[in-house]
Amino acid sequence: MTTAILICPGRGTYNKGELGTLARTFPDPALLAAFDAARTARGEDALSDLDAAADFCAAKHARGDNASGLIFAAGYGDAQSIADDIEIVAVTGNSMGWYTTLACGGAVRAEDGFDIATTMGRKMHDDGAGGQILYPHMSKTWEPDARAKADLLALVDKIGARADCRLSLSIDLGGMLVLAGDDAGLAAFAAAVPQKDGFPLRLPGHAGFHSPLVAPVSEEALGHFSPALLRQPKLPLIDGRGQIWWPHAADLNALWQYTFGDQVTEPYDFTRAITVAAREFAPDLFIVTGPGTTLGGSVAQSLIAANWRGMACKSDFEKRQAEHPLLIAMGRDDQRRHIAQGQ
Amino acid sequence: MDRAAIVESNFRRRVGEGDLPSVSPGSGLAPEAAVSIFRAQVLSRALDLESRAMQAAGEGFYTIGSSGHEGMAAVAHALRCTDPAFLHYRDAAFQIARAGQVPGQSIAWDLLLSFACSSEDPISGGRHKVLGSKALNIPPQTSTVASHLPKAVGAAYGIAAARRHAPKHETWPRDAIAVCSFGDASANHSTAQGAFNTAQWASFQSIPLPLLFICEDNGIGISTKTPKNWIAATFSARPGLKYFACDGRNIYETRAVSHAAAGYVRRHRKPAFLHLRTVRLYGHAGADVATAYLPTAEIEADEERDPLIVSAALLDASGVLPRAAAMEIYEQTRARVSRAAAEVITRPRLKNAQEVMASLIPPPRRGMPANSATPAQRAALFGEELETQKEPQPMSRLINWALHDLMLDYREIMLMGEDVGRKGGVYGVTRKLAKRFGPDRIIDTLLDEQSILGFGIGLAHNGFLPIPEIQFLAYLHNAEDQLRGEAATLPFFSRGQYTNPMVVRIAGLGYQQGFGGHFHNDNSVAVLRDIPGLILACPSNGADAVGMLRECVRLAREEQRLVVFLEPIALYAMRDLAPGDGAWMQTYPAPGARIALGEIGQSGDGTDLAIVSFASGFYLSRQAQKDLGTGIRVIDLRWLNPLPLEAMIEAVRPCRQILVVDETRRTGGISETVMTVLAEAGRHAARLAAEDSFIATGPAYGATMPSRDSIITAARRLLA
Repeated sequence: MTTAILICPGRGTYNKGELGTLARTFPDPALLAAFDAARTARGEDALSDLDAAADFCAAKHARGDNASGLIFAAGYGDAQSIADDIEIVAVTGNSMGWYTTLACGGAVRAEDGFDIATTMGRKMHDDGAGGQILYPHMSKTWEPDARAKADLLALVDKIGARADCRLSLSIDLGGMLVLAGDDAGLAAFAAAVPQKDGFPLRLPGHAGFHSPLVAPVSEEALGHFSPALLRQPKLPLIDGRGQIWWPHAADLNALWQYTFGDQVTEPYDFTRAITVAAREFAPDLFIVTGPGTTLGGSVAQSLIAANWRGMACKSDFEKRQAEHPLLIAMGRDDQRRHIAQGQ
Repeated sequence: MDRAAIVESNFRRRVGEGDLPSVSPGSGLAPEAAVSIFRAQVLSRALDLESRAMQAAGEGFYTIGSSGHEGMAAVAHALRCTDPAFLHYRDAAFQIARAGQVPGQSIAWDLLLSFACSSEDPISGGRHKVLGSKALNIPPQTSTVASHLPKAVGAAYGIAAARRHAPKHETWPRDAIAVCSFGDASANHSTAQGAFNTAQWASFQSIPLPLLFICEDNGIGISTKTPKNWIAATFSARPGLKYFACDGRNIYETRAVSHAAAGYVRRHRKPAFLHLRTVRLYGHAGADVATAYLPTAEIEADEERDPLIVSAALLDASGVLPRAAAMEIYEQTRARVSRAAAEVITRPRLKNAQEVMASLIPPPRRGMPANSATPAQRAALFGEELETQKEPQPMSRLINWALHDLMLDYREIMLMGEDVGRKGGVYGVTRKLAKRFGPDRIIDTLLDEQSILGFGIGLAHNGFLPIPEIQFLAYLHNAEDQLRGEAATLPFFSRGQYTNPMVVRIAGLGYQQGFGGHFHNDNSVAVLRDIPGLILACPSNGADAVGMLRECVRLAREEQRLVVFLEPIALYAMRDLAPGDGAWMQTYPAPGARIALGEIGQSGDGTDLAIVSFASGFYLSRQAQKDLGTGIRVIDLRWLNPLPLEAMIEAVRPCRQILVVDETRRTGGISETVMTVLAEAGRHAARLAAEDSFIATGPAYGATMPSRDSIITAARRLLA
């Protein structure tokens, strides 16, 4: 049986090109109806309506609660669509993909996972301070450059230490760093690094996720969600520190504390999560669920940074992909058909 | 069918069919914690089995395993991940369980890298299969039997000592406890017994020592059985050492008893002994076939007692994990480890000597600026002695002042040894230090050199800079493995992540009139010369001794080096070169003046003959120089490991003849290397070395070694 790691994407992955994704791919109409019902009961737009919109409207689709709901649903739906001859050996995700991970791995019911994702998205939209900015440390050929990364992190520390700025690492994202900061901190960083290929890139609509800037959201979440929502996972879950939560062996109180505590306010190390996934589970495939395909690059970069199977640069990865695909992006129909049920 | 396969087959059959031992449900452990421990046990077992498969395929190289000792996972669960653990080589389950307490670990991968001797192995870099991890506070241990116990005692002492005065680079929390584990056979080793005794000696007089000894009693050491009840009988009623015992096959009991033992140690800061009954499965190591010396029935009886089966039974009986789920965990883990192993064997291995040797010398330590006390601080410390420092003094006095200054400059320095405190050392070298710096920093130890060096190593682990003293060179030999096998190998087996920098002071060498003899005037340094990474310094006069000792402390503080400072006893009180001239006394070098590692000394610049020597040989050569005239230069090597060979060759280059004067033995002495290197450099040299003899007491004290007269004779022969 083919073994695989399931990887759930985070915010920013449902964009114009993803409109209609749920209609096309969501495998469980009853569940989607339940998601819609939950949202309309709260006076929110139904996912089906958002997904069916003729035009992508950033103000609407990228808003925290809407984007999170769409991304969760698309990811969870894709996880349910994987063929039976694929053995998922562990699940991980990026940023809000952690909530999808919890649901895909069985640590929360799908409905509860959906509620967590959308509620956290809404709280971030309403109460999350600061913003995010994206900047690469790998070259276009994806060759790891530990020095460049260390220099950037040192710069972040330096700016973050200034009295008039707040800036810290938000996500270690393969060949990129996502930084969280207030306007002054983000501006100071943008002014201090060379502009190249559209970077540094401010992420619209994002708060300073995974930083102390969103500590109030964490506090609200710890008060809002009960530890009783969590159950023993059915699959190993790899969190944003590279920690594995094993079936039958997860301390659910600690999992609750992490999910709504450190996971929200501390840096999210997606690179480490992928490294641990590779090394501890050595899967045949890394499957990135939808929506979108952008997380695939970060997965590949993380694997290159870990020198997984000797890959040292983008061309190594592309060569391996051409021979024996290692990475499957379910947001790409040509790749999805290899692993999805009934394809 | 090999025993490992039989044990695995038994597990699958018995857990699969429900043929489980009758057990009482466990309590006191949350269900997920119990399963977490079981998972660590299963992973440990799977790794053992995989290591054998890797070896069979030529991809693994060392298979000594942890099977039967998986109860150590429950012990780890009862401890904190910040408690330093000096582990027995059968404790993979401990390390795996601890890895679960620290986010981001890839423990299966890391251990597989170790099996494969990959250069990416995060602890040893492919130099040996050792357990260990910087992140997990598990310093790597060699498999030299019980040799890690003395330093565990030192580490425990260092944790407690940091409460009284904390070193800058303190490593462990103040409420940590040190942990060390070993087998029942190892418990008999004199090194282990010395460590138990030292811990008890400290505990008996209420010296804080938070240390948990864990004896993993599987009843046999390779082929020799431990007498029934021996461990309990010999350890259950020792003064100062609280005894705890449990069945290491029962994770509930083990966790509870370990928790109680750790709690006792942490609360009372006294040592305890945890006796963990375990089982040894499939022999000592890969090449050991237990059926060659044990009846099959006994082997099968042990296999019946497989702790993994007991764990599965306990979890099932406790309603925590049905046996089918236990089996699923086992099979998934086996498959997962095999997949990872297939990747691990493609990882790079060490290729050449340079790569192997890359971690012999530890990396420099950042943020260790040289400090110097103010004149006022020095005045307060030395008082009227400051005036005396302006007058020439013998070596013992100058070393004493140097130690004073160093201890004033660096609060992390601690001195320890036999009679170093109250008495001030046999030769007064440490006089007044205890009064001036207090008993926390000047420690009169018990009479056990292994413990003294272990003290130093353990203290160094916690950021102190120890200066242990071995009273006489001849006393080093019962303890030298603490330098050779432990202190010097630590950076090597940890890629420099762990270090134990220190300066070991040893009084030794010959020419001591009226007392001496082998036991006090041993003239063999061979045992210190072939330890990779160790620096051996040996001054010939007081001013050099001060400059070199300062350099030794710098090397330890800033470069994390292991240094031995060998003090020639015969020169401690030497005043004259010629009778009454006072020429062998010097004034105290100004604070901060140092003699750099590798810097040689030279007297005279004649080109007829170069005499190459050190210590008393240099002193005697200087006497001979007076008779031999101006055509002579005398070179003091000063540094005996590594020898300053390039500087020496440069210094002798203008000279027509070379004489090597060596007070260590002809065989294994310094001159063997010096002569070889000179010959390789195309220079012919004569040598005058000590006979291959022990030193006698009484009038013949110097008979076997070079003398002023024999040096003159040999020199004249060359000059003729």
